[in-house]
Amino acid sequence: MILVLVVVTALGFDFTNGFHDTANAMATSIATRALRPKVAVALSGILNLIGAFLSVEVALTVSNAVVRIQNSDGTPKESLTSDGGTALLLIVLAGLIGGIVWNLFTWLLGLPSSSSHALFGGLVGATIAGLGWAGVNWNGNGSKLDGVVGKVILPALISPLIAGVVAAVGTWLIYKVTVGVAARFTENGFRWGQIGSASLVSLAHGTNDAQKTMGVITLALIAAGDWTDTKNIPFWVKAACAVAIALGTYLGGWRIIRTLGKGLVEIAPPQGMAAESSSAAVILASSHLGFALSTTHVATGSILGSGVGKPGAQVRWRVAGRMVATWLITLPAAAVVGALMWYLGDFVGGVAGAVVIFALLLVAAGGMWLRSRLAPVDHTNVNDEWDEPAAVAERVPTGAVSR
Amino acid sequence: MSNLGFALEGAWKVLLAGLILGAGLPAVFALGIRSMAFGAGGDAEVDHAAPHPVGRVVAYALFVLVVLVALMGIIFIVASGFGKTLSFEHIYPTIVDN
Repeated sequence: MILVLVVVTALGFDFTNGFHDTANAMATSIATRALRPKVAVALSGILNLIGAFLSVEVALTVSNAVVRIQNSDGTPKESLTSDGGTALLLIVLAGLIGGIVWNLFTWLLGLPSSSSHALFGGLVGATIAGLGWAGVNWNGNGSKLDGVVGKVILPALISPLIAGVVAAVGTWLIYKVTVGVAARFTENGFRWGQIGSASLVSLAHGTNDAQKTMGVITLALIAAGDWTDTKNIPFWVKAACAVAIALGTYLGGWRIIRTLGKGLVEIAPPQGMAAESSSAAVILASSHLGFALSTTHVATGSILGSGVGKPGAQVRWRVAGRMVATWLITLPAAAVVGALMWYLGDFVGGVAGAVVIFALLLVAAGGMWLRSRLAPVDHTNVNDEWDEPAAVAERVPTGAVSR
Repeated sequence: MSNLGFALEGAWKVLLAGLILGAGLPAVFALGIRSMAFGAGGDAEVDHAAPHPVGRVVAYALFVLVVLVALMGIIFIVASGFGKTLSFEHIYPTIVDN
């Protein structure tokens, strides 16, 4: 029973992961009208689906980077499975709920926060609540880049900078090379370049992010005794995760697409291409070198860089500042939700506890969805002019968190 | 070595690869577009220079180059997903076991 809830919640997280991150690949193409909004999200969804199926590398140890609930071969710690896996399942469930709630909340605000940080944050919080501070892998063991600091915090600081520098250099070069060239060549040409580079980002996103959920579900299956192979992932898990992330992507996080595409920088096709190329190159190079990072941080850094690199472009640093602030609190905020959920689930106890926190998740998700209806952003108004004034900051009072 | 050391060690490699592929390729693409405009005659609307057919040929060659490198990127993702990697020891890329 708890296992079913964990699987459903994990797929739910995968779904939010999809629509939260559509913007990373497609915001620039939508903003420059290289692709019509619906076409862009459909293309991105399909590429995410393909990408997810391509990720056959076993991501079972994904949680090892931040928490100590697994042995190094991927099997769950024996101490957590003695009661039929309930202890481990509750930690995972509470962690996933923390991740989803934070993802939905930042979506409501239209802020691109990292889905990986939300997931890791939720797991860290639930682990602290369930196992204490020692249950968290803070700093690794010093032999490689590991732990919360090495896998989450440092990459989050460094990757947007790298992506920004690359995109700025790319943008500067492009404008230098095409100075004086007629607009009919640059506009059309770079739109095609943009579509190509954005597709590459979508594909890379599917391979990177769907894996994390696959790993979490398989871990839960092993804990419950329904799966024993630590080298492979059941096919239905892979298929379900691929479909969930693709559907989420197709739904499109229009609020976030709007912020990234219109809020930071007024993007022209050459900038869009430079930004997406930078994102694709940095994501691929990093995953090749085992340098874990968040697609969201990279994409945001790239778009900012494309604004810095274009002569005379305006960058809305205030919007950028709000994003960075969100990044800083993503991990702790998701951790707090994850921890609260664990305490509540543990207090009620057993299956009932899991059901209670799952019901709470549904209430929170439904509430935020209703709230979003008050000021809907969809494919029809995603490209409207960005009106910066304080109205944006006032729209969502901080008190909304507690609801 | 500390986490910070590992991170910085990885960072400059990512920066280098990013600059070559993420900024270099778009620049090549931009060259292609410039060449395309040259092929159609002049580099700006006001400049009614004669068309240069060679510009188109160069442009398409540059576009093909960019697409090929990007395709290699995709093959690279797929290959690493299946536990393989691209090897350049024969100059042209081949897929080998990782």
